[in-house]
Amino acid sequence: MTTLSLKHFAVLALPMAALAMTTSVNAQEWTPSRSIEFVAPANPGGGWDTLVRTMSRVIQQEELADESFAAINVPGGGGAVAWAQVARDSGNPHKLFATSPPMILVPLAGASRYDHTDFTPIARINTDYSIILVSADSEYQNLDDLFAALKDNPSLSVGGGSAPGSMDHISVAGLASAAGMKASSVNYIPFSGGGDAMTNLMGGHIEAVIGGAGEAVGQLGEGSQLRALGVSSEERLGGGLAEVPTYQEQGYDYTFDIWRGVMGAPEMPEEAVEYYETLFAEMLETDAWREASDQLGWIDAYQDSDAFATFLDEQQEQFSSVLTDLGLMRQ
Amino acid sequence: MDAFNNLMYGFGIALEPINIAYVFAGVFAGTIIGMLPGLGPISALALMIPITFAMEPSSGLILMAGVYYGAIFGGSTSSILLNAPGVAGTVATSFDGYPMAKQGLAGKALAIAAYSSFVGGTVSVVFLMLIAPLLSKVAVSFGPAEYFALMVLGLTAVVSLSDKSLVKGLIAAVIGVMISIIGIDMQTGTERFTFGSIHLLDGIDFLVVALGIFALAEVFYMLLRGGGGKEAPRNAIGSLKLTRSEVKQIAGPVGRSSVLGFFTGVLPGAGATIGSFLGYSMEKRIAKDGDTFGKGNIKGVAAPEAANNAACTGSFVPLLTLGVPGSGTTAVLLGALLVMGVNPGPMMLEQRPDVFWGVVASMYIGNIFLLVLNLPLIPLIAKILDLPKPLLLSLILIFCMIGVYGMSFSVFDLLLLLGFGLVGLGMRLFGFPAAPLILALILGNILEESMRRALQISGGDWTTFIDKPISLSLLVIALLSLGLPLLKTRRNERVVSAK
Repeated sequence: MTTLSLKHFAVLALPMAALAMTTSVNAQEWTPSRSIEFVAPANPGGGWDTLVRTMSRVIQQEELADESFAAINVPGGGGAVAWAQVARDSGNPHKLFATSPPMILVPLAGASRYDHTDFTPIARINTDYSIILVSADSEYQNLDDLFAALKDNPSLSVGGGSAPGSMDHISVAGLASAAGMKASSVNYIPFSGGGDAMTNLMGGHIEAVIGGAGEAVGQLGEGSQLRALGVSSEERLGGGLAEVPTYQEQGYDYTFDIWRGVMGAPEMPEEAVEYYETLFAEMLETDAWREASDQLGWIDAYQDSDAFATFLDEQQEQFSSVLTDLGLMRQ
Repeated sequence: MDAFNNLMYGFGIALEPINIAYVFAGVFAGTIIGMLPGLGPISALALMIPITFAMEPSSGLILMAGVYYGAIFGGSTSSILLNAPGVAGTVATSFDGYPMAKQGLAGKALAIAAYSSFVGGTVSVVFLMLIAPLLSKVAVSFGPAEYFALMVLGLTAVVSLSDKSLVKGLIAAVIGVMISIIGIDMQTGTERFTFGSIHLLDGIDFLVVALGIFALAEVFYMLLRGGGGKEAPRNAIGSLKLTRSEVKQIAGPVGRSSVLGFFTGVLPGAGATIGSFLGYSMEKRIAKDGDTFGKGNIKGVAAPEAANNAACTGSFVPLLTLGVPGSGTTAVLLGALLVMGVNPGPMMLEQRPDVFWGVVASMYIGNIFLLVLNLPLIPLIAKILDLPKPLLLSLILIFCMIGVYGMSFSVFDLLLLLGFGLVGLGMRLFGFPAAPLILALILGNILEESMRRALQISGGDWTTFIDKPISLSLLVIALLSLGLPLLKTRRNERVVSAK
């Protein structure tokens, strides 16, 4: 049962993971025989792309793997095009892709033929959180102010950077439920990205914005035109966001994770999954990774393959209930 | 004087030998990337992030900015020589650039493009330096309603260009908007007109349509004309030199379009494309010889080229002063800056003056490099036109296919390319202008999304479009740009019938 113990080891004692790998060298261990195709199911520049490129770079820089990780962009359909491509490559141990909540949400909305159960979960890597922003000169000082206004006048617009039924919308709709509103009563305005939504907030075209905390951190601080009312994490975040209270602190029992992880082709051999799990756990311990994720506002949230699989199933359940409330569930 | 001191400080950074090397490497790589359709600045920049990671932030941004404006600078080449615009910002350049090349004036067209790009780039850097912080207010003042009005203006401006038939222009524009609707609807997540095909989920890319209805249609048209066996005229390149009167002619258009381009570039969204089309149609309207636009008028090359380069610099305003990327390309730049530990935003000028002023100063140097680099290359690149026609046509075909395939690795897109080639041929044979179709395709998404967003914010109240002063004025100009040519043709008809 070396497999099982190794996995537990990685979860319980992350810093020991590197050690675990070196001690578990044995005859049946799998190593890649050619370069690994690491797919970002989107165009260059987005969250998936950044994850893929940052991971590839750190692994290469720290010489963690013998073979290189080649970043490949397969844009289209909010990920669906790439998923369809990977799904055809069953059993290929050299094919990975970056994943995050859309892996659950897009299939739930009926826009992909494949869902997370069609692929091999490898590991959850890190997470970001949602943040509620208003203009610096706005009258809303905290979430209570904002939701009082929203209950009064539900036509007030809340902008986000993703399509209805996608991450930002689910996140703010869930919060609205926690605040005692109907999830579907939020006038959610989808913009083409978080930056676009924030520009519109600065220009006074919309009332509030829901976005990623990592993305917003550069916009906050001294001289900022925006104010953050709350983050969706369980505890306060560090750095430039230390001043921002959580939803829970303000009496809203709701948290939301924008997790990111890695999945592989369907039916990937057990040994390969094990190899990648260990490799990524090791990567998370390097200084180069530390530095990069601090810059990008990422918070490590490692889970191994089994834990990640369970987590994905839970997410699917949670998201389906919000989507049903919103009336956006595939019939 | 403050700006002057800051600029000197910036030059202190940009003139460090290593940074000069980076500017040069950036603009050189950019020029090459710009010449090849399908290899846009976005992917090039994304590939460079790992390289720049270990650099000083100012050096990293100097290098990447060089690639970006270098690509816009070089982008005109394929538009002029092959009628194959690789990026949306250079579509307008092909309207007069390609006819000039066919008349044996390729060298001159390329030289004008280079000079105009240089002026556009340099003028806009001056603006960037002097008024960037003020302009951030302009950028945010454009909400969904204002964007809708701007897109309407962009469309009417180009429709009104089609002098033969306004109706045919409108038909082409409507078809363009219809093509832009294909794919997943951003507002609701619904699939529209995808016929269950996974390849259509993300819509049809601009490049596929542009290369199809411009370049491929041209190839088909030449084949149809049976020009296959003819030898190309000798000295097809022509002289690079501009006469004094030519310089005088393009001075006005270049100046006006540089300013116009810069301001449209500041607006997040379709800056370079709108800028170049507006510049082109403005000059056509103003010019006394407006009816020769589209037939190889030098002003028709100068205006869009100055505008698109100016817009490229303009797009750095929201990026550097607000920390908000206005396009895919600047989004990648933002990502790279974050990785290097620089937070672009209102505080950047104070926190990292080295990055801001270093990059501004490097843009002056980069534009000079681009001019010096591109001018001697023109005769070499333009030699492509000396090829025998059968070879040239095959080359264009391959060029288009590599461009499309290299972008998406999708065979489906190659079939679409072929399809749009035939559509383009049909449009040519029946006298439908291609420009409104392509512009409508580019702007269609923003047009629709901003309209729906504006209505969602206003609670379905259509007066939102005329309540806002910016939106109202843009819509009035749009109405005039359609109405005036109509009145003019009416009057001409009356004059003709009176005679």
